[in-house]
Amino acid sequence: MTDQIIFDRGYRTYDGPRSGPSGARNAVFWEGLRRVLGLGRKARYKIFPWSLIAIAVIAAAVFVGLHWAIGDIAESVGEGIPSYGGLFDFYSAISLLFIAFAAPQLLIPDRTMGVLSVYFSRPLTVDGYLTSKVGAFATLIGAFYIVPQLVLHIGLSLISDDGFIPYLTDNLDILWKVPVTTLAFVALHGALVFTLAAVINRTGIAAAAFLGVLTAGSGIAMRVAEASFSGARWVSLLALDQHPRIIRDHLFEDTVDYPAEIAGFEVWMSVVVIAVLVLAGAAFVRQRYRRLA
Amino acid sequence: MVDISGLTHDYGEVVALRDLDLQIPSGITGLVGANGAGKTTLLRLLLGLLHPTAGNISVLGHDPQTNPLDVRARIGYMPEVDCLPKDQTAADFVAYAAQLAGIPRREAKRRSSETLFLVGLEEERFRYLGDFSTGMQQRVKLAQAIVHDPDLVLLDEPASGLDPEGRVQMLRLIRRLGDFDIDVIVSSHVLTDIEQTCGWVVMLDGGDLLRNGPLEGFDELGTVVVEVIEHAEEVATALRSQGYETSVDGRRLVVGPGDHEIEKAVVTAAASTDAGLVRMVRGSSSLEDLFLAKDELS
Repeated sequence: MTDQIIFDRGYRTYDGPRSGPSGARNAVFWEGLRRVLGLGRKARYKIFPWSLIAIAVIAAAVFVGLHWAIGDIAESVGEGIPSYGGLFDFYSAISLLFIAFAAPQLLIPDRTMGVLSVYFSRPLTVDGYLTSKVGAFATLIGAFYIVPQLVLHIGLSLISDDGFIPYLTDNLDILWKVPVTTLAFVALHGALVFTLAAVINRTGIAAAAFLGVLTAGSGIAMRVAEASFSGARWVSLLALDQHPRIIRDHLFEDTVDYPAEIAGFEVWMSVVVIAVLVLAGAAFVRQRYRRLA
Repeated sequence: MVDISGLTHDYGEVVALRDLDLQIPSGITGLVGANGAGKTTLLRLLLGLLHPTAGNISVLGHDPQTNPLDVRARIGYMPEVDCLPKDQTAADFVAYAAQLAGIPRREAKRRSSETLFLVGLEEERFRYLGDFSTGMQQRVKLAQAIVHDPDLVLLDEPASGLDPEGRVQMLRLIRRLGDFDIDVIVSSHVLTDIEQTCGWVVMLDGGDLLRNGPLEGFDELGTVVVEVIEHAEEVATALRSQGYETSVDGRRLVVGPGDHEIEKAVVTAAASTDAGLVRMVRGSSSLEDLFLAKDELS
């Protein structure tokens, strides 16, 4: 007969450091990034976000390649290849898809799978939870906009006839214009998509609602704004998707006339519209989650 | 561990808890009551997720209304409802739950593995939660509640939805928490679960406190069912003469209610009357009987 040992690890107490509410907020932030990117999930959860990221980065590389290969020719015939502002435009469709995917992923599964009851039994407030989610969203979407711009900036510097360093120093304004434009896009789209994701319980429907409000809503607003009744010009402001673009064009000195500009509004009105949307969206989502907690 | 005075909580016109005064000592405590008795409301008040309409609460020396985060940092909570992300592995989720309590990432991962081992899911820890059975999910819920070494764990209907074998395993795990010096408050409407696990019982009914005390103390109202071969009436007379209420139905007697002295009195009475004692059992010492006899209690 051999000796047999029943091995039971029991339970180990923990006397190490505890980071409290800040640790809880950090955990929510990092888990938010992982969820959107599909990390720690089955392969099918990774396909969509990583495909969009790949398209964005490859597109930036293609832009650089075009500048290198046919930049001089295009300029000589008076058809410049789109640069920073144009790249933002090119990305708008891809980024909208990424935003429509990311924000519902950040908010809806926690709610529908009941995980909120675990979150709020920990040292975490509603404000801390939402701040971390918004932080994860801003980080992801910001990176989605800025990384390709960075690739473009470094690429254009490398192929510049003036040399790498002179090109960089001559274009230092890009270092603030790109982040400010990114902030405008992230703020407007974030406010809208978070508000929708706070009340819709299906990620696909929330994404469709977001895209619908931006595209169909803007189209309807533009049509109504063209009408002749008093106050019609104010309706032009409801074409929400134009506001970050107006700011972008103002910064990069592009000239496209959007409905609000045609209606006589200055760029600061777009800043006000974005600020109002952000504040209203934040208040609504906060109130909604206070009820859920 | 928990000290409550004058606690009232209402949801508009519905009063969930009414003027509760109770102290809960360390150990494993059962929170008993039918659905709607106010058990979950009480647990949420202890966590600081609800604010009482009136009264004061102290949990582990903290007021959950003024210091909810301090309280929650030292508490683990297992909700009754689903709370597991189906697209995450058990190991990832439990580690995440530890990080939410402020434990550093590397230590959280280590404790996740250890805790899942403790609840019997070491082999399944890298499987996705959506593939788990109800029993396994309940064990993951328990694991996330204890992974951060809390001082107190609140378990809301932990055996809910489990088959008999799963229920036995869950109750065994809860009893083990007491061995690890973790205080536990278990909410349940299944009274036998409470009888098997708890040393202290808080009984709620419609928002009122029916009873708060050690489990042994609940026997004092119990009756004893006795079966004799003959002379049942003589036995009854002997017992009545000692002050025990006794009813006779053929060869069967119901004695009490009363304390553990009943059994001695029955044995003496049966011997003195040559009745021949066939069987003697505590007939109404279970929590269920006591709960049904709540009118007497209140």
